[in-house]
Amino acid sequence: MSESNVASKAEAAHSEAALLPPVDVFEDASGITLYADLPGVPRDKLILQVESDTLTIEGEVNLDTPAGMEASHAEVSLPRYRRVFTLSKELDSEKVSAELKNGVLRLRIPKAEHAQPRRIEVRVE
Amino acid sequence: MKLESLKEGFGSLWDNVAEGWRHLTQSAAGALTRFRPGEDSGLPAKGEVDDDFYLPGRGWSMLGGDVFEDEQHLVVRLELPGMEKQDINIEVLDDALVVSGEKRFQRESSEGRWRVMQCAYGSFRRAVPLPAAVKAGEARAAYRNGVLRVELPKAEPARPSAVTIPVE
Repeated sequence: MSESNVASKAEAAHSEAALLPPVDVFEDASGITLYADLPGVPRDKLILQVESDTLTIEGEVNLDTPAGMEASHAEVSLPRYRRVFTLSKELDSEKVSAELKNGVLRLRIPKAEHAQPRRIEVRVE
Repeated sequence: MKLESLKEGFGSLWDNVAEGWRHLTQSAAGALTRFRPGEDSGLPAKGEVDDDFYLPGRGWSMLGGDVFEDEQHLVVRLELPGMEKQDINIEVLDDALVVSGEKRFQRESSEGRWRVMQCAYGSFRRAVPLPAAVKAGEARAAYRNGVLRVELPKAEPARPSAVTIPVE
């Protein structure tokens, strides 16, 4: 790889730079619940994508710098979050449900029916 | 059960972490905030969690803060995901805005295990230095999308009185 090649790659990575949001993941018999801290991301700036087995969470922070004001101290210099997960086959990616509340995203990904524990009822006549 | 269900794209993870930390060390050394879970925080015991990095007694989180100002006002913006309005305390102490509170953990109703635990819960305290004196009594605060926004009017600036000195 030539040097210019490396540089352009690093530049591309910079423009796409994003913070990795911390997550909690809970698994029970019927699926997975994922919580991600995404403070400052409004509903319309949150993008959830499922492509085959890849789940991408992407959110843009609404920085809304007040008009005519100057930032005298700034810690949030990277107004974007992104995290990519690979979903296993036992999860049903078509039935993901999402909820955004107080800057926390809650995703519920159910397990596909064949992967769920099955209860077989036996009837005695 | 193994954590086969949810794997992370490792390459992209590394890029994001490296990039994220570089920015944070440049701009946000003060944002790292300690969370102390208490009896009523409701955190799961170590036995219910598979995350090797999980320690029930402590948590750290980045609470990013920004301060904006114009002639009359200061606006402080602080990232506080997952709070309830009533659990946030805001105080003005000398030249700092002190935000403290308790971030509660929501227990799941079903039987299961925590595979990953990275979010911090418990009580925290974050001081944001204020660049000017403010009228604390007239401050207003709002909490939206997990971000606290506090608007503080600046105290009357002591106007330097112009004195003309005659040259003799």
